[in-house]
Amino acid sequence: MTEVVAQTAPRASFLTRDRIIKWAPLLVLVFLTLVFPFFEWLEDLQEGKQHLFLVDSRFFSIRNAARILIASTPALMVAIGVTFIILMGSIDLSMEGTVSVCAVIFAFAFISWGGTLASWAWLAIPLALVVGAVLGFINGLVHVRLKIPSFMASLAMGFVGTGFALLLTGGDRIRVEDEIFRSLLTVRWFNFPIMVYVALAMTLLAWFIQSRTTLGRNFYAVGGGEELAHASGLNVTRVRLMGFTLAGVFFAMGALLAVGRIGIAETATGNNFMFISITAVVVGGTALWGGIGGVWNTLVGVLIVNVINNGMVVIGLPSYAQDGVLGLLVIIAVVLSTDRKSVSFVK
Amino acid sequence: MSFERIKPHLPWITLLVLVLLVGIANPSFFDPAGLLSLVTDVVPLFIMALGMTFAIYIGGIDLSVQQLANLVTVIATVYLAKFGVGVALVAVAAGFIVGAISGFVTTRLYVPSFVSTLAMGFVALSAAKYFSGQRALYMDAELRNSSFGWMFGNTAGVPHELVIAIVLLVLAWFLQTRTTFGRSLKAVGSGEPAAIASGLNVDRVKILAFAISGVFAAVAGLIFSVKLSGGDANLANGFLLLAIVAVLVGGTPLTGGVGGVLNTAIGTLIVMVIRAAMVYLEIDATQQQMVFGIVLIAAIALTIDRSKLRGVVK
Repeated sequence: MTEVVAQTAPRASFLTRDRIIKWAPLLVLVFLTLVFPFFEWLEDLQEGKQHLFLVDSRFFSIRNAARILIASTPALMVAIGVTFIILMGSIDLSMEGTVSVCAVIFAFAFISWGGTLASWAWLAIPLALVVGAVLGFINGLVHVRLKIPSFMASLAMGFVGTGFALLLTGGDRIRVEDEIFRSLLTVRWFNFPIMVYVALAMTLLAWFIQSRTTLGRNFYAVGGGEELAHASGLNVTRVRLMGFTLAGVFFAMGALLAVGRIGIAETATGNNFMFISITAVVVGGTALWGGIGGVWNTLVGVLIVNVINNGMVVIGLPSYAQDGVLGLLVIIAVVLSTDRKSVSFVK
Repeated sequence: MSFERIKPHLPWITLLVLVLLVGIANPSFFDPAGLLSLVTDVVPLFIMALGMTFAIYIGGIDLSVQQLANLVTVIATVYLAKFGVGVALVAVAAGFIVGAISGFVTTRLYVPSFVSTLAMGFVALSAAKYFSGQRALYMDAELRNSSFGWMFGNTAGVPHELVIAIVLLVLAWFLQTRTTFGRSLKAVGSGEPAAIASGLNVDRVKILAFAISGVFAAVAGLIFSVKLSGGDANLANGFLLLAIVAVLVGGTPLTGGVGGVLNTAIGTLIVMVIRAAMVYLEIDATQQQMVFGIVLIAAIALTIDRSKLRGVVK
């Protein structure tokens, strides 16, 4: 007589590697939003000022949440752009140049066409998006047609972009003072400025592209196994080119929000976006090898990065530590997301 | 004659053609004193590129060199009073440690080198900001001259800086061609799986290569710091692009295995001539980055060994 033996215990299969990797970023985010108020509470306790944990926290407040979200929005757009590329197993390091060029061209066009959104100057917005798309397309062409690894092709294109932005501005700052455009930051609905809602809408659009279009599915196909995708008749070159073009559009969107937030367009507008966005993507759980992760991971990743940056200020950690903490975070995130059995060596 | 046969000779031919072009357009370019000062100016960049050569030679890349040099300018300035000439040792140690950590993270933790070195660069930036208190620092002139004044003297018309560069070049060349370590580098760069299969301790070779890159970046930072008599967390910004360009136009491809430190010497001279030409053509400094970015793309496209990429270029 044969007995039916229970297969693997449900407890063991509950905590699979895949599942841990999938939910870890969100848990980290929740943990961070609780741990910073705790340090704050501890600090107050030492100084003899007691406050209720979470309730009276300076960190855990709507005002601070708005601050974190405002800081997050431009980086979120850039990070979403690069998410598509990383999903394909490539990388795009050109964002600093692209953001600067888009910001500067937008500002020039905006001012020379009237200087207010109520005039023809609104055309500067689509113009900036087109510029981003063109830069992304060129970037993709250099990578795909010249067969240069994407990290190097895009790094070089980033240098070209920054140089081009510098050429356009000659080092000057261009002020964009139109009240209607700046209402992105100044007008608030339910405590949050409009730019947060714009970013949310763009995130939903990105999610739609990723999960409801052929292009989005092709990104996963290329990232999951390029040879296989190619063998099954997919035009991989075309998918890559479209990916880089799409990333360029999102970089341009990031540029618009960055200008909206600060009111200034300059060569330095793009500074720091590279490291922050790459950090956000990998910390969010999108694997550098491609095929795993997506837009929601990136949203969580961007929030983690900005919560850390903001929280460190709130609990009084010195600002110089931030770059180092992010650097270590990237290494940890990549290490955790790497399945060592499937990698023989890396360059 | 096929392109593949000309390829190894392309760097020096390029250099020769550029020198002739610039010389014809502007005969004063050949003025020995001017030429000597041009070459001397490029020494810190050259040393950084020498180190970068080792990272690229094994098929990796080191994006931390610029931040590492920044960190060293700060360390050198802050600790000059305490250690005197000994600050050079501190700098070299810092470079070795940061480079070795990048190498460790790349080989043992499987993080691609462009990410690990980028991340370590930001760790170095943090440290630089910490040591400098986020200010620009200046060296005490007397202390600087007594400790490092010898770096900037002349012997029989030859600047000492240039001598340092040549000594380091010979050292790197010796390391690359005349030692077991150099042969291992070549093996790893030519084909890592084969090197592993033949029993080479590939991880150790790669970690050492990144450490050497770090050491050279630190020396570059030290010389730069003494030259400008100060330190700042942003002082060496702009070096990264030029260092990569110098290595690649010299003929060491991104895929590694061929080229080497002598190529980088030629590559650095090419960068120098291009820069001189741009000054002559009155292309101002702001546009140079764009030009070098395009030169970089062209250099990679010409040198890269596509057979090694096995059809898939990520």
